[in-house]
Amino acid sequence: MNHRDDGAARRMPKRTRRIILAVVAFAGVAVYLFPIYWMLISGFKSSAEIFANPPTFFPSAPNLDAFRSVFVQENIARYLRHRVIIAIPVTALTLGLGAMGAYAMSRIRSRLVDVALVTVLLLQVFPEALIATPMFIIFKSIGILNTFFAVILATTSKVLAFALVILRPMFLQVPSELEEASYVDGCTRFQAFWRIVLPLMRAPLAVVGAIAFAQAYGQFVYPITLLNRQELQPGSVGIYAFIGAETADWHRVMAFASIYVLPIIALFLLLQRNIVSGLTAGALK
Amino acid sequence: MSLRKLMAMVAAAASMLAADAMAQKVITLWHPYNAETDMIHYGIKTFNESQKEYRIEARLVPYTQLTAEMIKAIATGTPPDLVTLNDPVVASFASQDQLVDITDRIRNSKVINLSVYFKGPQTSGVWQGRRYSIAREVNALGLFYNADLFRAHGLDPDKPPKTWSEVRAAAEKLTDPAHHVFGIGFCAHGSEQSTFQFLPWLWQAGGSINKLDSPEAIEALQYWTDLVQKGYASKDVINQQQNDVINSFMAGNYAMAVGGPWELPRIQKDVKFDWRVTVLPVKDGKNIQASSLGGFHFAIPRGAKEIDGAFKAIEFLSTPAIFQDGWKSGLMAPRADVEVKDPLWPKAYAVFREQVKYAIQRGPHPQWPDLSRPIQIAIQESLTGVKPPAQALKEAAAKIQPILARQPL
Amino acid sequence: MRRGPRGIDAAWLIAMAHARSPLLLVFLLAPVFYLLALIGFPILYNILMSFQEVTLGNLSKLLRPFVGLDNYREVFADPVFRQVFVNSLVFVGVNVVGQVTLGLMAALFFAETFAGAHFLRGLLLATWMLPGLVVGALWKWMFASQYGVVNFVLEALHAIGGPVHWLSDPAIAMTTVNIAHIWYIMPFSMILIAAALTAIPLEQYEAAELDGAGPVARLRYITLPALRPTLLAVACLVTIYSMRAFDMIFALTQGGPLDSSNVLPLLSYQFSFQQFKFGIGAAVGTFAVVFVFAVALVYVRTLKHEARA
Repeated sequence: MNHRDDGAARRMPKRTRRIILAVVAFAGVAVYLFPIYWMLISGFKSSAEIFANPPTFFPSAPNLDAFRSVFVQENIARYLRHRVIIAIPVTALTLGLGAMGAYAMSRIRSRLVDVALVTVLLLQVFPEALIATPMFIIFKSIGILNTFFAVILATTSKVLAFALVILRPMFLQVPSELEEASYVDGCTRFQAFWRIVLPLMRAPLAVVGAIAFAQAYGQFVYPITLLNRQELQPGSVGIYAFIGAETADWHRVMAFASIYVLPIIALFLLLQRNIVSGLTAGALK
Repeated sequence: MSLRKLMAMVAAAASMLAADAMAQKVITLWHPYNAETDMIHYGIKTFNESQKEYRIEARLVPYTQLTAEMIKAIATGTPPDLVTLNDPVVASFASQDQLVDITDRIRNSKVINLSVYFKGPQTSGVWQGRRYSIAREVNALGLFYNADLFRAHGLDPDKPPKTWSEVRAAAEKLTDPAHHVFGIGFCAHGSEQSTFQFLPWLWQAGGSINKLDSPEAIEALQYWTDLVQKGYASKDVINQQQNDVINSFMAGNYAMAVGGPWELPRIQKDVKFDWRVTVLPVKDGKNIQASSLGGFHFAIPRGAKEIDGAFKAIEFLSTPAIFQDGWKSGLMAPRADVEVKDPLWPKAYAVFREQVKYAIQRGPHPQWPDLSRPIQIAIQESLTGVKPPAQALKEAAAKIQPILARQPL
Repeated sequence: MRRGPRGIDAAWLIAMAHARSPLLLVFLLAPVFYLLALIGFPILYNILMSFQEVTLGNLSKLLRPFVGLDNYREVFADPVFRQVFVNSLVFVGVNVVGQVTLGLMAALFFAETFAGAHFLRGLLLATWMLPGLVVGALWKWMFASQYGVVNFVLEALHAIGGPVHWLSDPAIAMTTVNIAHIWYIMPFSMILIAAALTAIPLEQYEAAELDGAGPVARLRYITLPALRPTLLAVACLVTIYSMRAFDMIFALTQGGPLDSSNVLPLLSYQFSFQQFKFGIGAAVGTFAVVFVFAVALVYVRTLKHEARA
C-alpha cells in the first residue's frame, strides 16, 4: 500500500525515491539493531574482552567456547523445547479467552464493558515480584505445583490482557449486521460467532497468536519459581545458569541470548507479511 | 549347585530386600552455585554415594533470587531441608525464628570442631548466644594488581604498596588516560557489595559502624572520594558490581583492583598479563590490618522435614576433603587447619589465607540491610560529589542510630 | 438481508442486538474471571499485607497485626518514595510519547514501497523479543563511561568532549533508562500502528489528493483520525508495560545511582525482598494500582468516543 504521507518531493522520479528510501531504511535499521550485533559478537569474545577499553567491534580472537558450553553444558535445545511446549498451550488459551472476551466487549453496549476493561488493565499493573508468592499459594493449594500446567496458567495471565486490548477494536470492525442477518436465518448467537465472525478474524487472530506466542516464549521467570523439583530443573533455569553467586559468564549469557531469540525472529520474519495485513479485519473488502 | 552357593545367594537376596525396605530419605538443598567446578557438586555426589540412608536433591536457585525464594518458601510453608545463605542475612532469618537452632548439634558433632575455624566464622552464624548456621566457605578481599603495568610505570611488582599513601601514589603513577588505564578500581555499587568493599577501609582507619560520623570514618570515605575525584579511579565504580570491577582489571583498564579469591579461576583463564595479589593496605600510622569476611553459610530452615539428614549433610560437606576441593573455584575453607596441598595459584592462596585472618564479619544484626543501605547511599553521594563525605556520613549515622539504639551490634 | 413485513423484522432484529445475551455475558466474564482468579487473589493478598505489620516470623500466616494506614504513612513520608513516584511518572510519560511518536513515524516510513521494506521492519522486532535482563546488560555495557560503545562513537564523531556518565551521574541515569526502554519496546508499538495503517482505505487518500490536499493535510485529516483507536490502545499498552518494567531497569542501573532511576515496581521489590519490609513493599505495589486506576478510567472514557466501523 502506498501512503504518500511523508512529504517527500512529489516531483522526484519513483525509482530514485525508492532507492533513497531503501538506503535510509537500511542504514537506520543497521544503527537501531547495533546492540543486537553487539550481543552476537559478545558471544564470540572472551569474558575479559567484552569489557576492554577501547571496545572492539570485532572479536579479536573469535571462539566458539561460549556457544559450545551453551549447547553442551546447559543443553539449550532442551530449554527451548520446554519454552515452546509451554508457549503453545498458552497461545491457545490466550486466543480462546481473548477472542471470547474481545468479541463480547465489541457487542455488549453497557457500562459492564468499561468495568471489565478497567479491571483487566488494573490487574496487569501490579509488580510481578509481589504476585509470585500468593500465586504460588494458589497453585499449591490446588496441588498443581511443579507442573507445566501451572506455568501455562500463570503465563497466560500475563499475556491475556494484551490480546483483549488489541482484539477488541478489531472485532468492532466486523459489522454486527452480518450476525444479525444470520439470526434471521435461524442461527444461534454462538453459531454466528463461530461460523461467521471468527472466520473473518482468522488473520488477525493468527497474528495476535504469534505475538502472544512470542511473549509466552519470552517468559522465563514463572518456570523458575513454580518448578522447583530437581528433575524439572534442567530446562527451566536457562540463562541464569550463567549468572552465578559472585560472577557472571557474560559471553555465555550473550551466546545463550543469541540462540534463544533466533527461532522467534525467524518465525516473525516468515510471518512478516501476514502480520501486518492480518491485523486488520478487512471484513467487507 | 552347592549348599554354600545357595546360602550365599539367599543372603545376597535378603540384604537387597532389606536395603529396599529402608526407603531413602530425600534432603532438599537449595544453592546458587552454577559453576561446574564448585565443591558442592563433588560434595553432593560423594555424599549420595557414601551412604544409602539419605539422598541430597539439589535445586539451583539463581543467586539474585535466592533470598526471594527463601522468603517465598517461608510464606508458603515449603522450605527446603538445607539452604546456603549469604552471611549478612542469616541474622535476619534467625532473629525471626526461621532457622533451626543447631548449637547443640554442632557442639556434639564429631566432625565439626569450631575451635579450629578461623576467628570470623567462629562468631558468624550466632545470634543471641545460639548458633543457627555455619560457614560453608570463607573469603576476604585482597588487592589485585597488574605487574606488567607496574613495571611499565617504574614500580616494583615485588614490592606492592602496603599503606594508604603508597596505594594512592601507585594509583597516581599508574593512571594513564591516553591508554584508558585507571590506577585502581573498587566496587561502589548500590548494593551490599559496596558496603562489603568499604568496611575494610573503615576499619583500617579505626572507625566502626557504630560511629559512622567519627573523623576516622570520614577519613576513609574521603580516601575513596579522592581516588575518584582525582581520576585515579573511574566514576563508573558506582555502577560496577565486584565482578565488573575485576572484568575491567582483566581487560587491563584497572591497574589495581580490590577483589576476592572467587575471581581467581576467571583471572587465570582469561588474563594474559602477569597478575599478582597482595593484602589490603593499612592506614599510615594506624597499622590495622582488616578485610571483609564473606562467604555463604549452611542453614536449616524451620519447617525442614529432614533435620537430622540435613545436619549429616552439613557435616559431610564440612570435611577437609571437600574443603580441599573448594579452592578449585577460589573458595577457602573456614577451618584454619585445612591447608590445600599444592594449591592452584599458590602465591594468591598464601595471600588470601593471610588476609582471612584479619577478616571481620558484618553484623550480625537482624536489620543488617537497614544498616547497610545508609552506608551505600553515603558512599554514592560522596563519590558522585552530591554531598561531602562528612555530611553524607553524618546523615547515614543519623539513620542507623535508632536501629542500633534498639539493638546494638 | 431478507426482510419480512418491514416494521416487525427490523424491530425484532434491533431488540436482538441489544439484548443482554447470556452467551455474551459468559464470553465477557470468562477472561475476566480467569484473571481475577489468578491475579485478583494475589493482589488482595498484597492489599491485606499493606495494612498489616509483616515480618519473616508471621509471613506464613494470613492474619497478622493490623496497623491501619501506618505502612502507607511511612511510605508517603519517605523522600525516596516521592522521587521514585516522579521517576515512574516521567518514565511512563516519556515512553508513551516516545514510543507512539517514533512508532508512528517508523510505521509511516515503512508503509512506503521500497525494496526490503517489510523485511527490515520485521527485523526491528528483534529488540522486543529479547529478555529484559539481556537488554539491560547490553545497554549497561554500551553506556559504560569508559569502555562503552556509545561514548566511544560519540567521542569519535566529536559530538562530546569527554565521556558522558550515562549510568553513574544521577542527573542522567533516568534519561539513559528511557532511551534503553524506548529502544526495547518501540518496534512493538510500530508494528501495531503499521497494521492499523493498512486498514485505512486507499480511496480516501486518492479522493483527498484530487481535492488538492497535501501530505501534511492528508496525515492530519485522514491518517491520524483513523489511527486514533489504535494509538490509544498502544498508549494504553505502553503505559501498562512501563508501569511493570523491572528486569531491564534492574539489570541496567538497579534503580541507581541514588534512586535517580528507581521506579515503583523496583522499589516495592527492594522493600520486600532486600529489606524484609513486606508490608511497605505491598503498600507501594497497591499504590501503583490505584494510580493506574485513574489512567485506566481516562482510557476507557475516551474509548466511548470511538467510531464504530
